[in-house]
Amino acid sequence: MAAYVLRRLGWTVIALLAVSAITFAIFYALPSADPAALRAGRQANPALIERIRHTLALDQPVYVQYWRYMKQVVAHFDFGFSYQDDAPVRQQILDRLPATISLTLGAVVVWLAIGLPVGIVSAIMRRRLVDRVSMGGALVAISAPVYWLGLLSLYLFSKDIGRLPLFDGAGTYEPISQDAGAWFGSLVMPWVVLAATFAAFYARLLRGNLSEAMGEDYVRTARAKGLPERRVVLNHGVRTAITPIVTVLGLDIGILLGGAILTETVFDVPGVGRLLFDAIQHADLPMIQGTVLFGAFFIVVANLVVDMAYALLDPRVRL
Amino acid sequence: MSTVDVTRESLPHVVAAEPRAPRIGARSTPALVWRRLRADRWAMAGLAAIVLVVAVAIAAPLVVRLAGAAPPDLQSPGALDAFGLPTGPSSRHLLGVDPLGRDVLSRVVYCLRVSLEVAFLATGLAVVVGVLVGVLAGYRRGWVDTLLSRLMDFQLAFPILLLGIGLASACSLGRGCLGGLVQPGLTVVVFVIALASWPYVGRIARGEALSLREQPFVEAARSLGASDMRVVLEDVMPNLAAPVVAYSMLIVPTNILLEAALSYLGVGVQPPQASLGQMISDATATFDTAWWYMLFPGLALLVVVLAFNVVGGALQEALDPRGRR
Amino acid sequence: MAVATAALAGCGGGASQGGHGLEGIPGPVAGQQRGGTLDVVSHDGFQNLDPGASYFQLDYQVVYATHRPLFSFRPDDFRRPVPDLAAGPARVSQDGRTVTVRIHPDLRYSPGTVSRPVRSGDVKYAIERGFGSVVANGYASSYFGDLVGADHARGGPIAGIETPDQRTLVFRLTKPFGPTFADALSLPLTAPVPPEYARRFDRRSPSRYDSDPTVQAFTGPYVIRRYQAGKLLELARNPVWRSSTDFRPAYLDRVVWRIGVDPNIAGRQILSGRRMVNGDTPATAIVARAVRRQRRQINFAPQGNRYIALNTQVAPFDDVNVRRAVVAGMDRRALQLTRGGKVAGDVATHFLAPTAPGFEAAGGYRGPGYDFLAKPQGDLAVARAYLRRAGFPSGRYSGPPILVVGDDSDPADKTAQVVQAGLRRLGFRVRLRLLATDTMYSRFCNVPAAKVQVCPNVGWLPDFPDGYAWLFAPFDSQSIEPENNTNWPQLRNARVDAAIVRAQSITQPAARARAWGQVDRIVTGLAPAVPWFWDRTPNIESRDVQGVIAQWNAAWDLSFSSLRR
Repeated sequence: MAAYVLRRLGWTVIALLAVSAITFAIFYALPSADPAALRAGRQANPALIERIRHTLALDQPVYVQYWRYMKQVVAHFDFGFSYQDDAPVRQQILDRLPATISLTLGAVVVWLAIGLPVGIVSAIMRRRLVDRVSMGGALVAISAPVYWLGLLSLYLFSKDIGRLPLFDGAGTYEPISQDAGAWFGSLVMPWVVLAATFAAFYARLLRGNLSEAMGEDYVRTARAKGLPERRVVLNHGVRTAITPIVTVLGLDIGILLGGAILTETVFDVPGVGRLLFDAIQHADLPMIQGTVLFGAFFIVVANLVVDMAYALLDPRVRL
Repeated sequence: MSTVDVTRESLPHVVAAEPRAPRIGARSTPALVWRRLRADRWAMAGLAAIVLVVAVAIAAPLVVRLAGAAPPDLQSPGALDAFGLPTGPSSRHLLGVDPLGRDVLSRVVYCLRVSLEVAFLATGLAVVVGVLVGVLAGYRRGWVDTLLSRLMDFQLAFPILLLGIGLASACSLGRGCLGGLVQPGLTVVVFVIALASWPYVGRIARGEALSLREQPFVEAARSLGASDMRVVLEDVMPNLAAPVVAYSMLIVPTNILLEAALSYLGVGVQPPQASLGQMISDATATFDTAWWYMLFPGLALLVVVLAFNVVGGALQEALDPRGRR
Repeated sequence: MAVATAALAGCGGGASQGGHGLEGIPGPVAGQQRGGTLDVVSHDGFQNLDPGASYFQLDYQVVYATHRPLFSFRPDDFRRPVPDLAAGPARVSQDGRTVTVRIHPDLRYSPGTVSRPVRSGDVKYAIERGFGSVVANGYASSYFGDLVGADHARGGPIAGIETPDQRTLVFRLTKPFGPTFADALSLPLTAPVPPEYARRFDRRSPSRYDSDPTVQAFTGPYVIRRYQAGKLLELARNPVWRSSTDFRPAYLDRVVWRIGVDPNIAGRQILSGRRMVNGDTPATAIVARAVRRQRRQINFAPQGNRYIALNTQVAPFDDVNVRRAVVAGMDRRALQLTRGGKVAGDVATHFLAPTAPGFEAAGGYRGPGYDFLAKPQGDLAVARAYLRRAGFPSGRYSGPPILVVGDDSDPADKTAQVVQAGLRRLGFRVRLRLLATDTMYSRFCNVPAAKVQVCPNVGWLPDFPDGYAWLFAPFDSQSIEPENNTNWPQLRNARVDAAIVRAQSITQPAARARAWGQVDRIVTGLAPAVPWFWDRTPNIESRDVQGVIAQWNAAWDLSFSSLRR
């Protein structure tokens, strides 16, 4: 086990290095705004720009710049400064993290609460009306772009502009530490909208896995033993069918913690994704690079955690 | 059950630790598949919708003319109010106009063209690369397989939306990238989307190649002295067609949504070329009053993606040798 | 200063205010209420809050409430700078090469920073640090570059700034630039920075004075108590500030500035909420709603100009007739609609805006009378005639495609697309690239080597109220630079240069204004750009706010605004 963990950790580090190198290469080879000119201001003279270029090491070869960047990231957890407002990138990301965590975890609760029961019921009631309606609905939810669903729900239900003003609208986010009520109210719509497609996906996945499991020998055996159908489904079927879902869940959480960029943008939730979106709008490269690396970190770690959990549950994985 | 799913916030990512190839029997003949599909009313409706959308996209200029709408790039300042805000559906502009006074209906029609073009091109590119790499890995085995499989694993574990955003924004902001090979706009989007989706195809191709390699008819051909190239071309490839086609049908809607998402984020199709995602993004500034500008592009997107998803799902079921489950 | 991101509206000198768009702008009133908290809401964040680097409308709102430059402006009079840190007007020597300023005797820095009075050496250090690469002030070399020894300044001492005693500053110039230099002393670079305190922050790049503005040594009525970049800024009273030393009333106790709010949401909150004003430009839909239903909660302050730069150094726009054809063919009404229509500004007929000195001499609203600018909606017949004169017998342009690089932010992207359509009408094949504002400038429009043919999203705001600040940087051949170029059309014209030299030398205000008007006429006739807009910036407030607009900045003056009872 120890060897496996070590090997897996090694892979994680390599993956992170690769991600960082690739993102750095992308942004180095394909620069947008000239950082030195930005720092210098609109009317600065070329000599000043040249000096700034030197201060920022922009006149050094790419590997030197990468080395300097990574040294700062690893040694000081320092991602540099925003071109836009000179603020430290790390600070901004950490400031935005609570909103992203709130959005992600709330949405996870919502989609599990909807997706799992629907999946189970659909599997049991295969080809009946309940199944057809819920799977049809799930297909629609999967086919709708989340940002459009967000706008639609704001148009219909937000308190400020909605035709049926029920929930707090966009841009109302408050930190939970300041006002728990406002925090909850402001996140209701983002949670539901973000969760909609996930719920649909989980329902479909569970339905598929469960109906497959219900055909397996051990379930038939359980039935033959005369166990009540409820227990057969829950104890035998769901238990097997749920394992891949736990995997997916782990990865999804990892991805969302890196910033639910579309949902955060539509609902103006000040999270990491919104930060990335704004950085893209301003071509603020240190910020884009910092948030992308940060998101990659969560995804790679989520992969690691999921693999470890698998290894713990299923010794055969450790080949 | 779809195995790739990028319709969600996360966009393309590994759905399960291991994307499964659809269970497809080599003996499902096209006729049999078609018969099964015919029996599925929803699949037929979806297919009809796809045919309709493709026809509309191809004949966009004609459709716009027949609908009596203005061409998509024609700006009519007269259709704006005193503040320059767009006006809603009217007899002249059936679905209203955008903030430049351009007809939303004709723009949506032309955008369908862009959506399909990007999705088909990207999917095609992904299939070509995926099949080549997958077959090479599965057929060669050994260190080639290890290397290529690791590469695919890595790409599947990579935050591809983030990479896509990075790549697309970098390529879209300057004069293009990779020495001008990838030009901003459509090419970047196609490239990024293909990059995101080829490993899924690659894995399936690899799996199929691995198992086909062990099949008696392949072994027979090899023992008769057929060259590797010939075996791959004559025995492996034809048997790959069915699963790959079915799988592609599932990637197409995903890629349509991915293109829309990238364009929504401002790193996809660049204005003045319109795209549905970009229209929705543009509409966010005024959607509380100019609802038509937000609603119709989204509806168009929903219908197209839904049609492909319905047909793709049905096709997969129809190809399943165990019949309809 | 470039429009859109940077801003400082100066102007002035015009004969009367009537008809210059200044009516209805709320100024200070008698009996304003003291106390309370004002919420400012904006979408954009601050760029630089270091007074040595700040050069942006949003930043100025905070910097001028927390710092005291040598001179600044009353909100309702942008024509004459008034002494702020200075104890009286600047004295310019007869030869125009020496400027002397005495500073206020007993001003102090905010608690926790430096516990001594402000000295003349602090202003000296403030200007000197602006030349270094850490602070990197954007305009230092333009307006302070004529100081003796400034040409080699890298952040160290500048010989031309002398401090004979702790209250006196003597500026020595290499050229008789004195009158213009004295105007430039109202820029925030002259706000005092105590060297013994700030030096340690200035060692790092960017200076912590900028990345964490709460550490600054403040002299204004307010201090920055809290700052989270991109999210929040909070101003609180500066306990050592004395109202007896300042012309600012500083009614409010506290200002909380929320950043990153969608312009539509912000606008709705302000119009229906309490104690709120906007920090940056409200969304057009909000402006429309306020004008229609809440007229008393919105006002419009004139700002700068906007134009479409045509590159006079490369084909086809090296031909004045092709340029005139483009000016004639452009639908400036449609362009006006992209920024909110008539309420948001007038269709321009030349470059000096209605509030600028020399506006009337340049032709007023009617314009200088050129046929290619006669019709605001464009005139295809005139355009075709000019194209024929340029050697296109069909009246349609038929050369190779042209590169147009615009701004991708809303509504600039709309403007660029209208420009594209206008060019297409004349037969141009257009490659339009839309990029983030900074990218557009720093990689394309500011770089002559990029050979961009058309920059549709440029404009100008003067740094202080004088024709020089309006016309020199955008059109004088001397201001063409390989990087950070501000003469976007790259106009090199001996007549223009000579007229600018002449106007600069005139001291009598009315004659000077006429001379600048003459410069504008010549420039407009050469058609280096399509002037299409004279902005009026909308500002909105909640019902219970007694807002006061700083006309020089076309934004709320936080030191003068108050709440209503």
